[in-house]
Amino acid sequence: MSTDLGVWIGAFMTLCILSFLYRDNPFFRFAESAFAGVSLGYYIGNTFDQTFIPNLITPLFIRGDDLLLIIPMVLGLLLYTRYIGKIAWMSRWSLGIYVGYFMGLLMMQRLQGEVQPQTADTILSLVRGISSSGDFVNSLVIVVGVLSVLVYFFFSAEHKGAVGATSRLGIWFLMVSFGAAFGYTIMGRVSILIGRVNFLLTQVLGIGG
Amino acid sequence: MAQRSFLDVLVAVDRRFIYLLVGLGCIVPFLFPLGLPIGTTSSVKALYDRVESLDPGSVIMVSFDYGPSTGPENDPMAATCMRQCLVRDVRFVTIALYPLGGVTEMTEEFQKVTGGWDPETLELRNWPGKFYGTDVVNLGYKDGAQAVMRQMDEDIHAVFPGDYYQTPVDSLPLMQEINTYDDLAFVFSVSTGIIGEYWANLVNAQFGTPVGVGCTAVSAPKYFAYYRAGQMFALLGGLKGAGEYEQLVDDAYPEVRRMTRADPYYAAKGWDVQSIVYSIIILFIIIGNIAYFQARRAGAEK
Repeated sequence: MSTDLGVWIGAFMTLCILSFLYRDNPFFRFAESAFAGVSLGYYIGNTFDQTFIPNLITPLFIRGDDLLLIIPMVLGLLLYTRYIGKIAWMSRWSLGIYVGYFMGLLMMQRLQGEVQPQTADTILSLVRGISSSGDFVNSLVIVVGVLSVLVYFFFSAEHKGAVGATSRLGIWFLMVSFGAAFGYTIMGRVSILIGRVNFLLTQVLGIGG
Repeated sequence: MAQRSFLDVLVAVDRRFIYLLVGLGCIVPFLFPLGLPIGTTSSVKALYDRVESLDPGSVIMVSFDYGPSTGPENDPMAATCMRQCLVRDVRFVTIALYPLGGVTEMTEEFQKVTGGWDPETLELRNWPGKFYGTDVVNLGYKDGAQAVMRQMDEDIHAVFPGDYYQTPVDSLPLMQEINTYDDLAFVFSVSTGIIGEYWANLVNAQFGTPVGVGCTAVSAPKYFAYYRAGQMFALLGGLKGAGEYEQLVDDAYPEVRRMTRADPYYAAKGWDVQSIVYSIIILFIIIGNIAYFQARRAGAEK
């Protein structure tokens, strides 16, 4: 059995959270609020210690060898002017640069990293399937699945006749994918439970190790 | 009639009874391990093979893009990868990009795998002959995942001027050889949520860096699309992926197996539990569906 106070606090909080399975109660709400508060404190402290100090404070104010950092620092500070009524408009400059940067980054990321390679892979999968023979059925399923699901989401034509039949096939593909996602989700949630049970048994009670 | 009554009882069962069964299904295999077999899938073996194929002295980056909530799935992936690297004389650099606990997970796993190091000689306690700063480096956490990934292609030292312990990276022998992604054999992201995806659709797509990902089970269905398109060379999905990889490395290296089994938690330990709990859930899904169709048929008859 553990003699570490931190481990026992962890065990208490775990049991507080698990108590929700029986019904909502003050112990659960306490643990939930404590988690939210500690997470925020952790995030601020961690970002300050690991990013703010080494990447801004030290090079700008201690070593003084990277004066260009004044620009991002000022832009960052301007974000807080939104709390000062008269100069609140200045925060829009920083926000504009921030949004512009991520728009550019994400546009390329989505096009070059998702749309183009995923489309190419879907088109080529049938060709690759033929060349490697054994993979043909898999490739066919992918191509038919993608096309039928796209038809399901195509609302400019009435879902009747051939379009309706393809659309219904698309629904089947969607249902199968939801089922696979649900199965994986259960695996993920059970893994979290396994982690907590292992913690309670092995680290707190010292059994089942 | 008797069968319907039995189903009625099952349908009306208090959900807390199901929680209790799942709880027992979780506890009992921990106390009495069954040692159920784990198969190997090609997406997992690809990571094992890639590390095996690297020349001694090669460098990889392990990115901790998850927090404590998914530790049971992700911790064994990260620990096994670091151990396989150390046993194969492959060097590694660790970073963390997940804000809520990534750096804590990284530091704990790093400490667990290396055993810490002698403060004078920097020799790793669990790996004699290997040294902090020369064979392994913990670079710590940086905020702003995509911006960090983007800038690391230009200069890793500019993003990480110091390691986790605030030692200037220029003074670390390993980091003197590493400036951009071009100096890395590959990046292995152990991730929850979306950050693992960024490694594929940003770093792999724009800079051509080979990327392997160990993701949570929840993310796996989406990530398999990247794997199939070749944007990830390997994919470990959830606890199953972690268990497969752990088994591959443990079977190949008995010294690693001894270390793994000394850990308070490892993937194989959770695999029995996963199988038992899955069986319970499948049973209840089948019962629920039978009851649903019985009720529908009874409604139609009326």
